[in-house]
Amino acid sequence: MNKAKLQRLEQLAGAPVDVRVISQSEWEQAGGSKHPEIGDCVERADGCILVAQADGDDLKIIHIGTRLTPLEKELLGWAMKPGQSRPPSGTSDAERQARKLGEWIEASLAAGDSRAEVPDRFELRNRLFDGMIPFLILSEQADDREPSYAELEKALRSFISDEMFLVPLREREWLVLGSDRLLAEVDAPEEDVVEKDETKEVLYSLATGLHQMFAEEWGGECHVAVGMPIIPTESLVETVATLRETIYLGRRFHVGVQVHLPWMVHLERLLSGIPEATRSRFMEEMMGRPDVFTEPETITTLDAFFAMDCNVSETAKRLFIHRNTLLYRLDKLKQETGLDVRSFNDAVLVRIMLLLYKVTKRK
Amino acid sequence: MAGVRLEHVYKKYPGSDKASVTDFNLDIQDKEFLVLVGPSGCGKSTTLRMIAGLEEITEGKLYIGDRVVNDVAPKDRDIAMVFQSYALYPHMNVYQNMAFGLKLRKFRKDEIDRRVREAARTLEIEHLLDRKPKALSGGQRQRVALGRAIVREPQVFLMDEPLSNLDAKLRTQMRANISKLMKRLETTCIYVTHDQTEAMTMGDRIVVMKDGFIQQAATPEELYNHPINLFVAGFIGAPAMNFITGQLVEENGSVRFKATGINVEVPEGKAKVLRSKGYIGREVIVGVRPEDLHEEPVFIEASPNSIINANIEVCENLGHEMYLYLNGLGKENVIARIDGRSGLQEGQNVKLAIDMNKIHVFDPETELNVLEN
Repeated sequence: MNKAKLQRLEQLAGAPVDVRVISQSEWEQAGGSKHPEIGDCVERADGCILVAQADGDDLKIIHIGTRLTPLEKELLGWAMKPGQSRPPSGTSDAERQARKLGEWIEASLAAGDSRAEVPDRFELRNRLFDGMIPFLILSEQADDREPSYAELEKALRSFISDEMFLVPLREREWLVLGSDRLLAEVDAPEEDVVEKDETKEVLYSLATGLHQMFAEEWGGECHVAVGMPIIPTESLVETVATLRETIYLGRRFHVGVQVHLPWMVHLERLLSGIPEATRSRFMEEMMGRPDVFTEPETITTLDAFFAMDCNVSETAKRLFIHRNTLLYRLDKLKQETGLDVRSFNDAVLVRIMLLLYKVTKRK
Repeated sequence: MAGVRLEHVYKKYPGSDKASVTDFNLDIQDKEFLVLVGPSGCGKSTTLRMIAGLEEITEGKLYIGDRVVNDVAPKDRDIAMVFQSYALYPHMNVYQNMAFGLKLRKFRKDEIDRRVREAARTLEIEHLLDRKPKALSGGQRQRVALGRAIVREPQVFLMDEPLSNLDAKLRTQMRANISKLMKRLETTCIYVTHDQTEAMTMGDRIVVMKDGFIQQAATPEELYNHPINLFVAGFIGAPAMNFITGQLVEENGSVRFKATGINVEVPEGKAKVLRSKGYIGREVIVGVRPEDLHEEPVFIEASPNSIINANIEVCENLGHEMYLYLNGLGKENVIARIDGRSGLQEGQNVKLAIDMNKIHVFDPETELNVLEN
């Protein structure tokens, strides 16, 4: 039983609830049977105890600091018995197939075969020839329970459409394939087709929507990466590898950002591939004043400045500061480091330093 | 409906040696409109995200109503959120956007329809229900985001800079709309903003934050008139409060404040407090709001002991009022807010009187308001 459930039980019972470990003899002394089973309940002077886990001589019990009616005991015991909660995963046919596909993707990645095509043996294969948009979701919620496949699939079907696949990968990681018809659905009716240039923007808005849906309506905070539409049979493994790398780079270099795009982390990918010694030498050479980047204000200012394509007015607007305040900050940085971020070459250097500094700082 | 209580709440990110939110204690009443305000990085959004369940609480307890919700998933907290980046679901029309949360919670179709149409009527977006987000203006999208939250009929609304993507005119309009809406819905609302005007005009109570700490939690009037420290005094109010560093001296039985170009008498009530706290002969920072500097002859005549003379460096006339940027007073620039019809001009010398009953005195070391603490 996780913390949330214990808290709920505490509220329902109107008494303190905690988890303890007791010996078999203590259990028997309290009036429990010689062969305790999960859900068994006995009453003591300080309340009731229920068996949550029987492990050799030790019993993990839930202590409820109040007396329970026989019906309450029976209901609680019933709810705790294995098999009374949701059916274990892997029961539906769709889920079994999706899990198999997930295992194959993992195995292909482990074997370094990122160009592998979905083999004929998968029943799902026939449905993977249409253009689909790949999303990778990585849940960050610190909850004991991973959402069940069936529940998540149902929510995603409501959100995307029935034309979607949910493939469980690693723990708390799912690949979602949605029909590429979604791209057209985003457009207002008066517009006929999505311009190619707009596709990335539309994909970003879909990923942001998916993130918001997952965070608010489903399982809490998560990271979402989205890729360009693919024909899944041909490039499923490669796509998972790319999206996984995108989330990894996004989490590493852009803390606080939840939606990651493969076409926005090119520089980060390059920097990530540079050997540690080379990176350190670059930082030593460039960072005459390493303390400059320890100022959160400097980092926030530079992040916004680069995000706004070095546009002073837009950056000031985004930071809710006056344009002159921003210019003052940039001039101060120039005085301290000798680098003027309003010039292209210096901006490139500072951008690289900033990315590397954020990574080295968090080590 | 429910109140929200934070008890000794801390947030520390892994790998960081400093807490982003430190010992946050606050009791938010049921139906209260509470505003969290502070500069960028002060911890206001982190606090809101902890209440939303999007950030884990490192230490402390969070209650919604009587229930501890530290480990409750966001969807089970009975809250609704509206964020700055109001990500509407781009492939759904307005009606579907507003209905989605209810659909997921398995509400009956007729109930969903009733709630969506009622919220749309309230927000005056009934004519937009069939449109996709892409075909909406910024203000309309914002209203849809609000609608999506309203239909949930939550115990608590959480809003994080919901107006910052709108232009100035629309912001003012939406500010009033949200205030009206929240009063009508009678729901607890926690609102994060960096904008002190938004905070002052919308909040029943305002919490000013800095570096992860609560600086002061009070009503707008209390914050404005009785700021607890230099930070709050400078943060609340536009143009900001003037700070003049100088000396407090005792002369002929009265206490005087002396700085470059200033020699004014401190009213006896305030002088008594300053004497009792041992500030006579010491350096202090005096805070004067721009509107407490007067150029009207009647006020000057009535305040012979608080007259100052200064030169107008810059004069900004907004029509109904005028900001004078004054030279020669203390070490810093001083701003006076006077009547727009005064006829004063740049370069002119001006005689002003300080309303000494409204001054604030701060300790330069602790930065606390000596007269309030």
